[in-house]
Amino acid sequence: MSATTQTDALVVEGLSGGYDRFDVVHDIAFRVGCGEAVALLGPNGAGKTTVLRAIMGLLRHRRGRIEIDGTDVVAAPPHRIARGLAAMVPEGRRLFVGQSVEDNLRLGGIRLRGDRARTEELLAGVFELFPVIERYRDREATALSGGEQQMVAIGRMMMADPALMLLDEPSLGLAPLAIADLSAALRRLREQDRSILLVEQRVDIALEVCDRIYVLSGGRIVDEGRASDMGAEGRALIDAYLG
Amino acid sequence: MLQVLLSGLTVGTIYGLVAMAFAIVFYVTKVINFATGQLLMVSILLVSGLVKLGLPDWLGIVTGLVAATVLGVATYFIAVRPVLRFDRFSFAWLVSTLGVAIVIQATFALIYGPASQPFPRGLHAIPVRLGPATLTVQEIVTLAVGLLAIVGWHLVRRYTLLGKLGKAISTDPEIASTVGANVTAFAVGAFAIGGFLAGLAGILVGPITYGNPYLGDTYGIFGFIALMIGGIQRPAAAMGGGLVLGVLSIAANTYIGAQASDWFPFVLVLLVLLLTPNGVFASGDQLRRLFRTRRAYQQGVNA
Ligand SMILES: Nc1ncnc2c1ncn2[C@@H]1O[C@H](COP(=O)(O)OP(=O)(O)O)[C@@H](O)[C@H]1O
Ligand SMILES: [Mg+2]
Repeated sequence: MSATTQTDALVVEGLSGGYDRFDVVHDIAFRVGCGEAVALLGPNGAGKTTVLRAIMGLLRHRRGRIEIDGTDVVAAPPHRIARGLAAMVPEGRRLFVGQSVEDNLRLGGIRLRGDRARTEELLAGVFELFPVIERYRDREATALSGGEQQMVAIGRMMMADPALMLLDEPSLGLAPLAIADLSAALRRLREQDRSILLVEQRVDIALEVCDRIYVLSGGRIVDEGRASDMGAEGRALIDAYLG
Repeated sequence: MLQVLLSGLTVGTIYGLVAMAFAIVFYVTKVINFATGQLLMVSILLVSGLVKLGLPDWLGIVTGLVAATVLGVATYFIAVRPVLRFDRFSFAWLVSTLGVAIVIQATFALIYGPASQPFPRGLHAIPVRLGPATLTVQEIVTLAVGLLAIVGWHLVRRYTLLGKLGKAISTDPEIASTVGANVTAFAVGAFAIGGFLAGLAGILVGPITYGNPYLGDTYGIFGFIALMIGGIQRPAAAMGGGLVLGVLSIAANTYIGAQASDWFPFVLVLLVLLLTPNGVFASGDQLRRLFRTRRAYQQGVNA
């Protein structure tokens, strides 16, 4: 058997970008291997969301190289990147208002609308990971609790079956119990060999879920390392960065 | 009485179609296309002109509908997309779509002059007795088209994944684009549907109004008033606003005086905006939301 060449899920090189022509991230370079979970840590305002938006195609002013699954997307619009390359859990969840849990999930998988079997399979996968939201499938999504809404947001991302999963601070605003559930769910996603880029403020979650971490500060990558190498010393260093 | 109701509903459907044209464009793009009334005028005058040149009625009608649709899309590319690309939150479309309206109106005034143009009588020449009231076949077709528009919109929005994607774009275009929605394509579609509905309203009302270049002002304003009465958030409610406006205007004409429908709509919309600022049908929406929350709460308690 010949080994297939493993391209990285994500390669970012020399990425700069921002809003209204003012760069807020500068010369960013990092990668996410296939089946690897990578965390992007950093203090508030470091530019983490901006990097995720650049990868998803939502940042109009961006330069450099962004390769998802071997395809350069630095000039692609979001709806093209959404066709199997990347899917995102946005900051603040942003579920579709006025639509049911199930509709939110099915909208996440709308790129596969021609493939009924695959869609139902993915839906079953989401409900297996989050049995709670199956019970609420007909409810208006934004009427659920914060933790449940976050499950729907993650489910919506999973429904696209993307090469790269982007999550922006999924723990934000959740109760401690919900955070524990979330962390467990992320680990299971990781075990399914999904390629994940996780933005977090909670270092403990990032270290639990991810193989490697990058630290972003002031719009630049200032540190990187393996999660397993992060002893007390490394954590102290990160905590210092996170302020 | 029945005659007032039926005539009112017929006129109201015309206002309602124009209001729906406004509302569908607004639903997807959050832009009000102030050239909507002019698209109605374009379809009427094209039919008048082409039929006068000896073309068959149906060819004139098809041309009128296509022209209104194409002009709707052109309005998007000329007056809306450039200003929104420059600044997503800009209100410059207010001025630029009004500019398109003026250019269209001036162009047609230049070609046709201010005189009234004949419009084929078509189905309007065939009366139908309904008990004590009389409608023409054209008016019955108008009512049917209105019903079809409202039911069609409801079915697409409620029961198709495409309709749900449209709703997602309406509430959060950015996130909708991250699940694969081509927001520009939807915007083009909305302007096309808006143009088509306005053109259709023109074809339906043409035998009554005949053609002149200033019809766009009249129907644009009345359609906009219908939109305010029904509420701008929901296209189906915009049609409802048209029906309310139509029936009350004809009633005012009949019971107050022959000129009442000139000023009555403005008084009506003032009252509506004072009493229910989100439109007559928005309050029903709030009621329903209340029930839904209560039901969800009870389910939560039982679960
Ligand atoms: N929409 C925006 N327009 C202008 N500046 C923005 C916008 N969003 C974020 N910024 C700025 O970009 C910088 C990075 O923000 P962000 O990427 O949201 O940081 P993080 O996600 O790490 O907290 C901040 O200085 C912020 O003020
Ligand atoms: Mg952020």
